[in-house]
Amino acid sequence: MPGMNAFTAILTRRGAALLAWLQGWQRLLRFAAGATVEALTPATYNSATRSVVQKQIYFTAWQILPGFTLFAAVLSFVLIQIVVDTARHYGLAEHALEASVRILALEILPLITALFVGLRSGAAINTEVALMIVHNEMQALAETGVDPMRFEFIPRVIGGVISVLALTAVASAFALALAYLAVYGFQASSLTDFNRVMGHIFDAPAIGLLWAKVLAFGLAVTVIPISEGLAAPPAKLFFVPISVLRGMVRLFFVLMLIEVISLVLKYI
Amino acid sequence: MADAAARRALVAAAHDSDLALVAEELPLRANLSVLENIAIVPQYRQNMAYDQAADQAWGLLARVNRTDCAFKRDPDLDSEQRFIAKLLRAIIRSPSIIVIDRPALLLPDTHYPPFLDANLKALQERLNECWILDYPWNEPLYAPR
Repeated sequence: MPGMNAFTAILTRRGAALLAWLQGWQRLLRFAAGATVEALTPATYNSATRSVVQKQIYFTAWQILPGFTLFAAVLSFVLIQIVVDTARHYGLAEHALEASVRILALEILPLITALFVGLRSGAAINTEVALMIVHNEMQALAETGVDPMRFEFIPRVIGGVISVLALTAVASAFALALAYLAVYGFQASSLTDFNRVMGHIFDAPAIGLLWAKVLAFGLAVTVIPISEGLAAPPAKLFFVPISVLRGMVRLFFVLMLIEVISLVLKYI
Repeated sequence: MADAAARRALVAAAHDSDLALVAEELPLRANLSVLENIAIVPQYRQNMAYDQAADQAWGLLARVNRTDCAFKRDPDLDSEQRFIAKLLRAIIRSPSIIVIDRPALLLPDTHYPPFLDANLKALQERLNECWILDYPWNEPLYAPR
């Protein structure tokens, strides 16, 4: 029965690929749960882990702050102008501010920040963790009594989450200021109107959802690269680019999934 | 050691006890300098401030006249500097026994018995006990103790 054998072979291959894919998600979820528990455990924080958290925030947020802020400001300015001009064109000028802020502060800027941090720091973290596994540095650390999970990984997760939160906040603050200037011009007499619109947009559920989304973005950009790096086999240097590729693809899909879920929760 | 199996059994025991292993397969952390690789042990295990831990690490490097490599990272080290960094990383946690596994692998270009002797003497105040695992055919290289 050659036809039956070929069909069985295809099913076996597909099944193995599916199982490997599911194991990747299982590994990721297990690591995310472990990292969350460790991050909430006071014993995790000592002189060494605090140093790594500080370095992580420096490299992930502080070092890129000027460039990223400039980029976010330019992007925000262009998008605000498009929205404001389009709204005026259709006689909907009174909704221009609300539409701009909703698009930028609630949707685009958190996503752009997460993508930026993921591409810059996430890829680096993925590579570094994979190289640590390949060169057996994890075991070497453990032999000296230093827990690699607490010393190397949890500080990166904490630093990554704080960095995404901070960069999103800075970019959003600039976007709000630019939106005010685009709609009302260089004058302060419309601050009351501006505050009223902001109060309408940023009600408690919207703020809660925004916090949850940015937190999820922050976790994703560090947890996924670390988890993929940990899956690299020891002593196989050729696997490092494969590990980074897998990590970045998985990260992209998870970021998009978080964004879609937040849109569904908000608008549907 | 009688043979490779006996060596592996002893090294396996070292993983589970108060023995600190210095071995080829336990590298330094590549993104940390020599000083940080040594200081990280008390900093993490005893929650010691970095400055204090770095002072301790510097003191150990000074004992073996190797402060010149304190701020170098693993790829910039020669085999002797790398060995010293691994040895001090083991010593700083004050284990009962330090096991140096096959020094010829760690010091490929060095006449290692006198090199080991000189450095272990310089560090003897910080050493409890040190075992050197080597093959029987290398026994003549070591002076009787």
